[in-house]
Amino acid sequence: MSQRWNSNGFRIVCPVRHRLLFVLVALLVGCATPQTNQRVQEGGVEARTQSKTYKGLTVSTSVLSAEESAEAYGVPLAEKGIQPVWVRVDNNEAQAFWLLAQGMDAGFFPASEAAEAFAAGRTGEEQAGLAAHFEKLAFRNPVPPGSTVSGHVLTNLDEGVKLVQVDLISSKQSRSFSFMSAVSGFQADYHVREAFSGSLYIESEVVDYDDLGSLRRALEALPCCTTNADGSRQGDPLNLVIIGGLSDAFPALVRRGWRPTEATRIESVMKMIKSALSGERYRYAPVSPLYVYGRPQELALQKARDNIHQRNHLRLWLAPLRYQGKQVWVGQISRDIGSRFTIHSPYLTTHKIDPNVDEARDALIEDMAYSQNLVEVGLVAGVGTASKDMPRQNLTTDPYYTDGFRAALIFDAKPTSLTDIGFLQWESPGGAILLDQDRGAVQ
Amino acid sequence: MLAISGCATWQAPADPSVENIRARAISESSGDVDVKAAILSAEDTRRIFGADLNAAGVQVIWVEVDNRSSVPLRFMHTGTDANYYSPLEVAWSLHVTFGGATNDRIDDYFDAKAFENPIPARQLRRGFIFTNPEPVVKLFNIDLVGNRTMVPFTLILPVPDTPPGKDATALSKRVAAVRGPDYQTAEALRAALEAAPCCTRVGAEKAIGGPVNVVMVGTLGDLGSALVRRGYRRDLRSDDFVQRVYGRPPDIVIRKYAQGVDSSKWVRFWVAPFRYRGRPVFLCQVGRPVGGRFAANDGPLVLQVDVDEARNHFVGDMLYSGGLAQLGFVDGDGGDDDAPVAVPKPYQTDGLRAVFVMATRPLSMSDTEFLDWVPYVRQREAEASGLAAE
Repeated sequence: MSQRWNSNGFRIVCPVRHRLLFVLVALLVGCATPQTNQRVQEGGVEARTQSKTYKGLTVSTSVLSAEESAEAYGVPLAEKGIQPVWVRVDNNEAQAFWLLAQGMDAGFFPASEAAEAFAAGRTGEEQAGLAAHFEKLAFRNPVPPGSTVSGHVLTNLDEGVKLVQVDLISSKQSRSFSFMSAVSGFQADYHVREAFSGSLYIESEVVDYDDLGSLRRALEALPCCTTNADGSRQGDPLNLVIIGGLSDAFPALVRRGWRPTEATRIESVMKMIKSALSGERYRYAPVSPLYVYGRPQELALQKARDNIHQRNHLRLWLAPLRYQGKQVWVGQISRDIGSRFTIHSPYLTTHKIDPNVDEARDALIEDMAYSQNLVEVGLVAGVGTASKDMPRQNLTTDPYYTDGFRAALIFDAKPTSLTDIGFLQWESPGGAILLDQDRGAVQ
Repeated sequence: MLAISGCATWQAPADPSVENIRARAISESSGDVDVKAAILSAEDTRRIFGADLNAAGVQVIWVEVDNRSSVPLRFMHTGTDANYYSPLEVAWSLHVTFGGATNDRIDDYFDAKAFENPIPARQLRRGFIFTNPEPVVKLFNIDLVGNRTMVPFTLILPVPDTPPGKDATALSKRVAAVRGPDYQTAEALRAALEAAPCCTRVGAEKAIGGPVNVVMVGTLGDLGSALVRRGYRRDLRSDDFVQRVYGRPPDIVIRKYAQGVDSSKWVRFWVAPFRYRGRPVFLCQVGRPVGGRFAANDGPLVLQVDVDEARNHFVGDMLYSGGLAQLGFVDGDGGDDDAPVAVPKPYQTDGLRAVFVMATRPLSMSDTEFLDWVPYVRQREAEASGLAAE
């Protein structure tokens, strides 16, 4: 292995024995010459690099596979649950911008911390060398006007797909860029890219609503519940509607720590069991498929709390409707209340959901209120009431009860503060509360 | 995690009254909204919930919101504690195997006791919320959100069962006792910050600990809201206690708790002996321990040398907090109330401290103004072009 240094401050360790891989990684860290660019285009990484431009900013990203990150860093980052995302920002605006790593992953790893994860068994000098190397690969703020900065943000390992959110801040302004990336080396279990690309439905199947009244009626008419594969039994209630897509709704979820999860496979089940036994956090407790429109969820997301026993799950299906051009996703959300305080078997307890399913729905409303992208929220009928005394059961025989409403959350790319979120004058819990038309009367 | 014992005999508590709790509650008003809150002691939880919930790692808070306005409001649990527990999650921990009817009664009981949203216009709501524990004193953030409106509060709640010698009101008293100058212009504030102590001191030899690399300006409520929303909680450890500025240990120390999702960064606060436009100023030392989340939990906290990295990441946290009005950088190697000590600093830094002027009214991240003080960006730009010229 040899070290190479490029001219603009981004340096990499270059394994000579994998010339092609070196070239690919070299592109990722922003130091490729035009000649190597040509060679890179023959490989697979180039195909994964995505770029977007808004006003004077162009952002490019790519997610490194476990093999690529091991080659670039000289240590197996993926084994510690770390996944580098390469980011390049071309700033042709008049102001400097800061990239916020927290927006890409609320639990991101500072470069120095990631290097320390590999300190064991190394001399002080080797550790210092490792730290210097990690620091050199890291994305360094700010991005001055008229310049280009590239480097890595170290995120938690995602499997299958990764939502890469790039938030850039300048004085009194912000820019957000969102990417859906396939993660090389993992099986993508869902047709999520098909959904995001708009190829899931033919255009004539999709109804675009312009006004809130007709949207509300359409949301009320959605199916009440998920089903099993052949549609013969009903499962969890569809208590959630997300209105928005890759530029607004999903960035909000990512900022608040929601991550895609892989569908149930035996490897992930084994990892979950190991995690449960050790008490460590495993971000990818598998999510079993549920069915709407005769197909499994397009995307399953989860938000891990402190460990496997604490997590909220949601599943989303793209509905054949839009609101003012925005995608509409119907979904199901529940809170695992697990076994944090008990010695119950992890097999039994990790499936235990809070029977008050409205609690998880309302918690998501609150969570998204802090995301800066939620503009309006309301409740609509359509789930059907299930009382505490006469609870319904989901497919795993967990009882649940609900006021029968689903939350509709409308997102927009323009940041909205907590003081500006609109509450739609639709249903209200308990039916006893009249929402007031008088906006801002409190202050 | 702990199991709550004695569940098999759970009975609906005979005396669930909250009078004594209400009597010691902290109150605050804003416009047409009054709030009261108090933390339950272990004895309170046994009396009201039939089990010692504190022992299971749950801090129970009694809350009352009197909404005399014409707008329904929602109490945002997430703004109080992003990892709060749902009532039935706590109830479930009391369940017994094959407990059927008993388990149902426990669920019903917790459900009935929980704080219920929304708070209708011209109505009063009271109930309990279930949070993660904080010692001595809790910065209790209440975000009440209505249609295109919001009423924020930050209450400083004493934690019952605190060992003697810990004063929950020490921080408020310290802030109230500041008699130094009240600077009215940004330039005067900047000059004062440049003259503030460079760093913390440790031990009789006054060795250099860590740089004072962050300054926060705002009321305790403004700071508390922003920090709690980003998952920080109060946590003073013995390694913090030896760090001194103005000859005293930190007035408060916070950390981000959620296991495994942060690098164990600390923010140590000292109340500065001056104000800015009537508001308190806090000098802070932000750093993280070597090893971060990968280190053993019980080892000593050794400052990671790249302190600017921790400082810059804290900048990101505050930009998402909804509470950052202005951000600037000032030189931080200026004055020092201790005699200069010719010892090497145990860290590397560009010598700048980040200054946050916090706002009460929540802001979006597009609203933060960058102060044109030390041109941090231009400095980095020159550095970058220097590298390019190599």
